[in-house]
Amino acid sequence: MNLWVFASMKKYFQLSKLTLQEYFVYRLNFVLWRFRSFVFFLTLLFFWLAIYGDRTALLGYERAKMLAYVVGVAFLRSFVLGSRSADLAGQIRSGELTKILLCPIGMFSFWLTRDVVDKLLNLFFTFLEIGIAVYFLRIPFYFPQRTETYLFFALLLVLALFLYFFVSFFLSAFAFWTEEIWATRWLFGIIFLEFFAGAYFPIDVLPGWLQGMINLTPFPYLVFFPLKIWLEQLSAATAIKGILICGLWLIIFYRLANLLWQKGAKNYGAFGG
Amino acid sequence: MPVIEVKSLKKFYQVHKKEPGLIGSLKSLVARKYEDVKAVDNISFEIEEGELVGFIGPNGAGKTTTLKCLSGLLYPTAGVVSVLDFNPWDRKAAFLKQISLVMGQKNQLWWDLPAMETFILNKEIYEVPETQFEETLGELVKLLEVEDVLKIQVRKLSLGQRMKCELIAALLHSPKVLFLDEPTIGLDVVMQKKIRDFIKEYNRRKKSTIILTSHYMGDVKELCQRVIIIDKGKIVFDGQLSEIVEKYADHKVLSVVFGKEIDPKKLSEIGEVKEYSFPKAVISVRREAVSVAAAELLQHFPVADLNVEEVPIEDIIREVFSGKDLA
Repeated sequence: MNLWVFASMKKYFQLSKLTLQEYFVYRLNFVLWRFRSFVFFLTLLFFWLAIYGDRTALLGYERAKMLAYVVGVAFLRSFVLGSRSADLAGQIRSGELTKILLCPIGMFSFWLTRDVVDKLLNLFFTFLEIGIAVYFLRIPFYFPQRTETYLFFALLLVLALFLYFFVSFFLSAFAFWTEEIWATRWLFGIIFLEFFAGAYFPIDVLPGWLQGMINLTPFPYLVFFPLKIWLEQLSAATAIKGILICGLWLIIFYRLANLLWQKGAKNYGAFGG
Repeated sequence: MPVIEVKSLKKFYQVHKKEPGLIGSLKSLVARKYEDVKAVDNISFEIEEGELVGFIGPNGAGKTTTLKCLSGLLYPTAGVVSVLDFNPWDRKAAFLKQISLVMGQKNQLWWDLPAMETFILNKEIYEVPETQFEETLGELVKLLEVEDVLKIQVRKLSLGQRMKCELIAALLHSPKVLFLDEPTIGLDVVMQKKIRDFIKEYNRRKKSTIILTSHYMGDVKELCQRVIIIDKGKIVFDGQLSEIVEKYADHKVLSVVFGKEIDPKKLSEIGEVKEYSFPKAVISVRREAVSVAAAELLQHFPVADLNVEEVPIEDIIREVFSGKDLA
């Protein structure tokens, strides 16, 4: 049993190494990728700095907490929203997926491995970049006071990672039916997802009724809720409730992704060649 | 017990048709016409262990689609497929570890990295023991002469170099069943020959079952005893290669070299003149009339040399595809 686990670990380890190597093949691409995410961070930061101006509090957020939120977004973007599985849709269309389908490796484990590598790499560079910015711009960084906060945060983060993975997989699987995957991907992936996830601003600056509706979607559990937990603005009960809802969405999207995959794969054309 | 069993396999695709040009595009935006394409239409065959079968047919005949169904990539519209007692569609790891599909037109290596990286990944994915990996790799690399290209990014390789690396990647786990879809495409004659010899040897030594498709009749002639000819999704012939000649070539070819200039008009009394340019002539004669025709030639013409030959297999198959009914 142990040997078997070891052997299958080796395959994921090698896959991770290859994924990592791919990033370093094109240096310019790599630099631009980092530049883009850094510029995004700075834009959001300066936007909020401009809005606050001389004020110390706005929309129920102290200036320091809002800045901490913005810094937090940069980290969660890289850890939760960073992903390689978005490539899946393109591979279904082009028939490139064939090469993976022929290998005795699970489709979920293949893409999850690549996703995790992407996230870790992203996170590593985010630490460097944001660290420098935080140091030079003297942005106050918030560390939670209560121990259980770390536990809740870690728990929700893992759930959010998987939830995003299965949402992304679910969206990609539409490529089995429609060629126009980028429209849906863009609409859901950018507009809905990032907006409602709280990747631009905290959801609770919105009117209450809208907030209530957004809280019913899976999105705020990806960025907004983990950050609220980190900033210790939620009671333990609300945090646990959020974790449970996230878990529920995870189960739903896990099922949906599976279902759509199984149905969709029957439509796969293995085009090209 | 056959290794591969296919019963009444059908695979239909739905495609939408678009007239050329912008107007056509606009039309297809509003009202889209779908059409069923019968890529594979009710075919059945069985292949025993260790057989090396040639799959031939014109472009779009359904060869590749069949191979994709056999390797579990495509979900059949109807019919039963069994390979090594597995249903390929289940994509069980135990099944995938025993097969390989090589597509000459398609890249299965990691495009941005050197081929060696794919080899190592395949070793781990297929759980190939280290010693077996080293041994197989060493042998294949030497045979296919790719020592120098293993560390070069795959995308920078020539088609031939890449094809060789594809073959290596597909064979590292010593598959029992091998599907080769035009494996010699883009290779020079010397390499074609090498790959052929290699496939033959691999089939002999490992007792592996191989299906090969190719546009080069040379590949099929040299490698396969049994061929399956497929056209428009249907099997039109399944049997020994030599049978095709016996069954469908009702003509033989007389190649003549004349000692003196002759009247080509007189030649057409003997048979159908395919080619005449002094001193050579090629005449096609019905099988049963060959001896009479040869005697006539020798009697009435200044013949320097005469050869009776079978119609080349390429020609027979071309005739088969160009509409001559085989069934």
